[in-house]
Amino acid sequence: MKNKLLKKLIVLPVFLLFGSVIYAQIVTGVVSDANGPLPGVNILVKGTNTGTQTDFDGNYSFDVGSSEAVLVFSYVGYKTQEISVAGQSNIDVSLEEDAAQLDEVVIMGYAAQTRGDITGSVSSVDMDEALKAPVVNAAEALQGRVTGVTVVNTGSPGSAPRISIRGVGSNGNTNPLYIIDGVQTDDVNALNNLNPADIDQMNVLKDGAAAIYGARASNGVVVITTKSGGYNMDKAKVSLDIYTGFSQIGEEPGVLNAQQHAEMIWQSYLNDGITPTHGQYGSGATPVVPTTIQGYRRVVSYDPIVFSAPGEFTASVNPGGTDWLDAITRNAATQNVSMSIQNGNEHGKYFMSVGFLNRDGIMNHTGFKKATTRLNSEFKIGEKLRIGQHMNLSYSNTKVGDGEAIENSFRITPLLPVKDDHGNYTGVAGTDLSNTRNPAAQLYRSRNNFNRRFAVLGDVYLTYDILDELTFKTTLAGEFGTYDGRFFTALDPEHGEPISSSTLAEVDQTYYNWVWSNTLNYNKSFGDHSINAVVGVEALKNNGRGKRVSRTGYLFETPDFYTLSNGSGAANVDWTFDGWDSLWSIFGTVNYSYQDKYYATVTLRRDESSRFLGENKSDTFPSFSGGWVLSEEDFYNDDSFINRIKLRGSWGELGNQNVPTGLRTSNVNSLSDATANYSFDGSSITSGALLSSIGNPNLQWETSVSKNFGIDLSMLDSKLNVSLEYYDISSDGLISPNAATNPSTGADANPPIENIGTISNKGIDFSIGYSDTTESGFYYSVNANISHYKNEVSNFNAPVFGRGDIRNGAVTYTENGEEISYFYGRNVIGLDNDGRFMYEDVNGDGSVNDEDRTKLGSPHPDFTYGINANFAYKGFDAQLFFTGSQGNDVYNYNKVFSDFGLFFQGNRSTRVLNAWTPSNTNTSVPALTTSYPLEEASANSYFVEDGSYLKLKNVQIGYTFSDSLAEKIGMDSLRLYVQATNLFTITNYSGFDPEVVSYDNLSLGIDSRLYPISKVFTLGANIKF
Amino acid sequence: MKKGIIYVALLIGLLACNDEFTESPAIGALSDAALKNETGVNLLLTGAYSTLDGVRSGGYGNGWSVSGDNWIMDVVSDDAHKGSTDDDQADLKEVELMNWATGNGYFYGKWGVTFAGINRANAVIALIASIEEGDFSAQMAEARFLRGHFNFELQKIWGNVPYISDENYANTEFNQPNPGPIWDQIEADFDFAMNNLPSTQGEVGRPTSWAAKAFLGKAHLYQSEWSTAAALLNDVVDNGPYDLMSDYVDNFRSAGDNSEESIFSIQFTTDSGQSYNGNSGGALNFPNPGPFGSCCGFYQPTQDLLNAFQTDGSGLPLLDTFNQTDVASDAGIETAAAFTPHAGALDPRADYTVGRRGIDYNGYGEHIGKDWIRAGFGDISGPYLPKKNVYWNGDSANQATGGWGQQLSGVNYHIMRFADVLLMAAEAAVETGDLATALDNVNRIRNRAKSSNYMQADGGGDAANYEIEPYTAFADAAYARKAVRFERRVELGMEGHRVFDLRRWGNAVQVMNDYFANESRTITNFAGKVSPYTATHNLFPIPLGAIDLSGNVLTQNPGF
Repeated sequence: MKNKLLKKLIVLPVFLLFGSVIYAQIVTGVVSDANGPLPGVNILVKGTNTGTQTDFDGNYSFDVGSSEAVLVFSYVGYKTQEISVAGQSNIDVSLEEDAAQLDEVVIMGYAAQTRGDITGSVSSVDMDEALKAPVVNAAEALQGRVTGVTVVNTGSPGSAPRISIRGVGSNGNTNPLYIIDGVQTDDVNALNNLNPADIDQMNVLKDGAAAIYGARASNGVVVITTKSGGYNMDKAKVSLDIYTGFSQIGEEPGVLNAQQHAEMIWQSYLNDGITPTHGQYGSGATPVVPTTIQGYRRVVSYDPIVFSAPGEFTASVNPGGTDWLDAITRNAATQNVSMSIQNGNEHGKYFMSVGFLNRDGIMNHTGFKKATTRLNSEFKIGEKLRIGQHMNLSYSNTKVGDGEAIENSFRITPLLPVKDDHGNYTGVAGTDLSNTRNPAAQLYRSRNNFNRRFAVLGDVYLTYDILDELTFKTTLAGEFGTYDGRFFTALDPEHGEPISSSTLAEVDQTYYNWVWSNTLNYNKSFGDHSINAVVGVEALKNNGRGKRVSRTGYLFETPDFYTLSNGSGAANVDWTFDGWDSLWSIFGTVNYSYQDKYYATVTLRRDESSRFLGENKSDTFPSFSGGWVLSEEDFYNDDSFINRIKLRGSWGELGNQNVPTGLRTSNVNSLSDATANYSFDGSSITSGALLSSIGNPNLQWETSVSKNFGIDLSMLDSKLNVSLEYYDISSDGLISPNAATNPSTGADANPPIENIGTISNKGIDFSIGYSDTTESGFYYSVNANISHYKNEVSNFNAPVFGRGDIRNGAVTYTENGEEISYFYGRNVIGLDNDGRFMYEDVNGDGSVNDEDRTKLGSPHPDFTYGINANFAYKGFDAQLFFTGSQGNDVYNYNKVFSDFGLFFQGNRSTRVLNAWTPSNTNTSVPALTTSYPLEEASANSYFVEDGSYLKLKNVQIGYTFSDSLAEKIGMDSLRLYVQATNLFTITNYSGFDPEVVSYDNLSLGIDSRLYPISKVFTLGANIKF
Repeated sequence: MKKGIIYVALLIGLLACNDEFTESPAIGALSDAALKNETGVNLLLTGAYSTLDGVRSGGYGNGWSVSGDNWIMDVVSDDAHKGSTDDDQADLKEVELMNWATGNGYFYGKWGVTFAGINRANAVIALIASIEEGDFSAQMAEARFLRGHFNFELQKIWGNVPYISDENYANTEFNQPNPGPIWDQIEADFDFAMNNLPSTQGEVGRPTSWAAKAFLGKAHLYQSEWSTAAALLNDVVDNGPYDLMSDYVDNFRSAGDNSEESIFSIQFTTDSGQSYNGNSGGALNFPNPGPFGSCCGFYQPTQDLLNAFQTDGSGLPLLDTFNQTDVASDAGIETAAAFTPHAGALDPRADYTVGRRGIDYNGYGEHIGKDWIRAGFGDISGPYLPKKNVYWNGDSANQATGGWGQQLSGVNYHIMRFADVLLMAAEAAVETGDLATALDNVNRIRNRAKSSNYMQADGGGDAANYEIEPYTAFADAAYARKAVRFERRVELGMEGHRVFDLRRWGNAVQVMNDYFANESRTITNFAGKVSPYTATHNLFPIPLGAIDLSGNVLTQNPGF
């Protein structure tokens, strides 16, 4: 096997080697556009790697080697020009702007291609546009801007969005692989370590184009490259971007006020035939909202716990009750400062930046802070050797608050004030107040918890031009990070179930990974032929270790006191982990083009992974793609309405080696304090072990076959661009924990990870853009994209239910011949004469039971879309950015609490104001009851709602001051703007937000939101010096 | 050309030594191979014992349903209310009120932990089978005893259950159908254990051959195989090393841990750390706030149970009429309002089983009524507190507190104690016509109760009017049957056995519906909230999640 591959790899360079002739010829000149000199323009001697860049004033000068040379002038956003030297020593060039951006250099990992040459499905994010919204995690920039990419945000500051590319292709990890200047990671949290303003390009490889990343590519690859300086710059370029603003809560689902709450309780009793009597609302014919909490008390001393005597503490009821959501949310500040400087001379160039971001959360005491600094540099040593590096240092602190707080704000009775008459947080220790913890107190007490991350990420590289057309590059990239978490559980003397001892838990984790890549790049044009090829080898290793230790019994609740040594209980090691995995690969790709008309790419990669055993460790992933620029053919009429037509097609095999947790090829047994120890003598403890996970020695990677067909059209002098792609991705042998192998009758071990089932996604990605500038100087552009996929599951041994850990059981279901994870349960067909649900007798056997569960809806949209409009006129610019989803359903799980009263004394949604009563029968809301009708609160159609939405994601208006004015205040340019995010959402969905973060791919579309989505308003400035 | 090939070759050579590079060991994990020795067998065996307390890794459904002391089984019976306020653990309220949904997490939790126990025992059995050298018969016998116990639990709770063998375990074939009783397999395990366990154990937590014999007898009793049961149980009574302790209450204090009365107990143990070996599944079952600010007010005894302790003028129970009168209840009475405790005659075990107002509560002083009760007057839980599972004042060896203030008790739970064996033997005796043995055994228990120390009042003297006497005779088998069954209730109340007794006696429908009606005299609206008990309720439903996960290999019990 290995020998064959070696042969294959040696055959590749046969393409590669051709000689060259060497002369000396110096050429100088100025490159400019309509507005003046252009700095940073790339100039290459065609067919070689020899080249330079223009300096700050557009000047260049270099040895072109031959008086017969052809110079290629290229610059992002401009049409490339080729000019024959023909003996000239001074060549001034004026570049034309190119709306189609066909010559944009797209960096795709080991190699770069120009936009017009690409035959695979590669989308690029316009970072300038994307950064107009206040992006925290760079991955947010993908939302709505790249066809076929789904991005969902949790709303919690600092949390990573969930991303999937082209449907739902795996039931394991669907995170794409991120390549950040050579660092490889599938952890989207890694993007939190970046300053989005540092990003130069963000390109998404969606099909066989990703095959160069072989075993890790089937979820797609996002290639991120950061900015660099330019050689021969005239002076340093300094950019300063600042914004400040605030976030506020978006739409709020309503809950009952105190009077409504009292009446809800009364109606529940009456419906159940029970004479109402209540510890707070009395026992009259109608409830009476008290002015003070009845039976209010709090802990006055611990060990033993003693509550206050009746009347010792009092808590007055707010008129109308407490709006708890209001009590735990706020208008939260947000600030961002980002500064960069870039420069370069003939020997070296650099880019340096610092950034600071603060995003306070709209929930009290939550937020995210991040500081980053970056240095990218490159040096020429002699003519052939270049050495460079990228380094990013980041520090962040996420304050997540208390995960229960938002749910508790809906559950807790509106009767209770936030604080009592003595200034203490109140609790539910009185009568008939349920047992919900005070969410305001919970958030307050979490204020000194932190999740700190420190990360260094980057690479060092060396390139050597062996021949003009052959370059060797070695890159050592890596990431080192630490995570430091502190979680203090404080005493809660107001609560009816008081915590008797404070606890401090500390989490420490370190992780590091490195990847060493060695490549040979070959670039050669001869006649009508052009070849661009790469071969390489690569080794990669991921390491991680960590622990959580906790200890109880702290005398003081001041953060200065929070160290483990200050506890008085025994220290507990809650968990530890330690492990690594590795990947060894050889790969090659050849891009060939003929007359810029016909294109072909062949890619091969062989990976060997430590995550599998024996034969399954390694595999080879091929891909092929081709393109035809029809409009370049002689028979094509250049005058036609369509000025460019390109057809593309690709086929590729991709892998996914993402095993959900560590080593899963063999059984793992573990010692466990918590679950395996036992006392045989009634006092001392004997250590025991248990099978903790079931291994599967036959585990192998998931393989996807991806087919892509695309057509790109440019019309009306490239003002109108259209791209249409059809894809068909079939993923086989899905890596998934198979609960069917270890069902409820099995061992208390993690189920084996197995290769089960096939998922296919067929879809269409369409984008259209039009831009123009009118004669009066009004620039406008509108870009729209729309994506549709059809998902189908096959080859599952048996149907699979989604997450089973939610109350009352799974609500999603996956079976062969259907789309993955649809909503499944009983179909409510109305209310009976008591206001209780009637369900459809699906199987028609005359009785309704568990066998009458059926499909209730689909979390998969008919289509998702994004619309981005830009306008500019005389210094003013404006942007509108919409995203939307149509035809998907959402399972509003929160109704378990808000409509069914899991906690009877707790609060309810205002929906129950329209609950069934004998006089209000024309409603879908069931009758109020004192019981918790578990069957009605289990999976059924009452919870399934239309989740379609249209959201104004970003709106921005800016003004760029005239150059003369800017110069007066010492700047090259100055732009001020105002901006708003998530300004409105048009939806029929009744929960917080129809954008739902899914727990896993077998449990899509279940809304159990723990953090509300916020609107963000900012005021900012972009300054260049 | 040449140069290029050399570079490519160099490039590949650079990282060619990759075989070791991609061999990643599991750090900190025990492989199957590493366990194939005595240490490994003992580690897994300890792991199997560890599930007795109801704590497993991962799990399904509700975490409070799992407790090894089976407290939720008393809530399903006429012995206990779930306790606390109605809306605290609403799922359990629905179980108590007989509104049984197949998806209720209380059914699924218990199911899941029972299979964890079965399969940890299977792990030991399968491991021993895979080791060629060495004598592991002692460990094998313990593992089979444990598997027998867990399967017994499964059998008595769900009836129609699957059997997971050690071969199934070794082959990862856990998805087995549930055609019905697995008594043969349960008996085979206890039989093996009986024949291979030693008659005494150095460590008190391990079962002996006598314990296995008692469990085997109980398995036959549950199948109404009276003579086989009688032979085994009488052998344990007559020839076994067991006896009743002199003081009844010591069964529930650390002083009585692993006494001559203990046959097989969960060794709940506190320690200075997380107390992982305390009774975490029973952590809700302390007064709230009670005398020491404990949590969470669950597992409150019923009026019906308290009434059962009433005795007549001759110190005998009111077999047929106990529930025509109520022991004085303080339901609906605030602590500040006056209350006079019951003056009528009571079995002294009443005040070691049910905590009631005006009587000392486990050494913490007199129960002050409502202010120690979490439930409101409108809730279904009533005014009483559990006692047997709550550690006594000063019994520090049994006291521990968890992270959020819950109590992690070290009070051992007796899966079987000698009094239980005596009464099972008595029951078998009645059914085989041996009324003399039945009378002896019942009276042995009543005499112990009579001669125990009685609960004392604060000012000295008996806390209540205690009267208990042995039976003089059993007139006939029907009377004897009634007396034996009644004795089980008062001796073993709040110990997790009651519901299974009612189910096998076949009178659950009648007893439970009577109880629902009677309980409403003191707990407003109880009868209005509860749904009727039907024959369907004699078995828990197979949890819906379990059926779903099995791909419908498991079938539902009838009626659901």
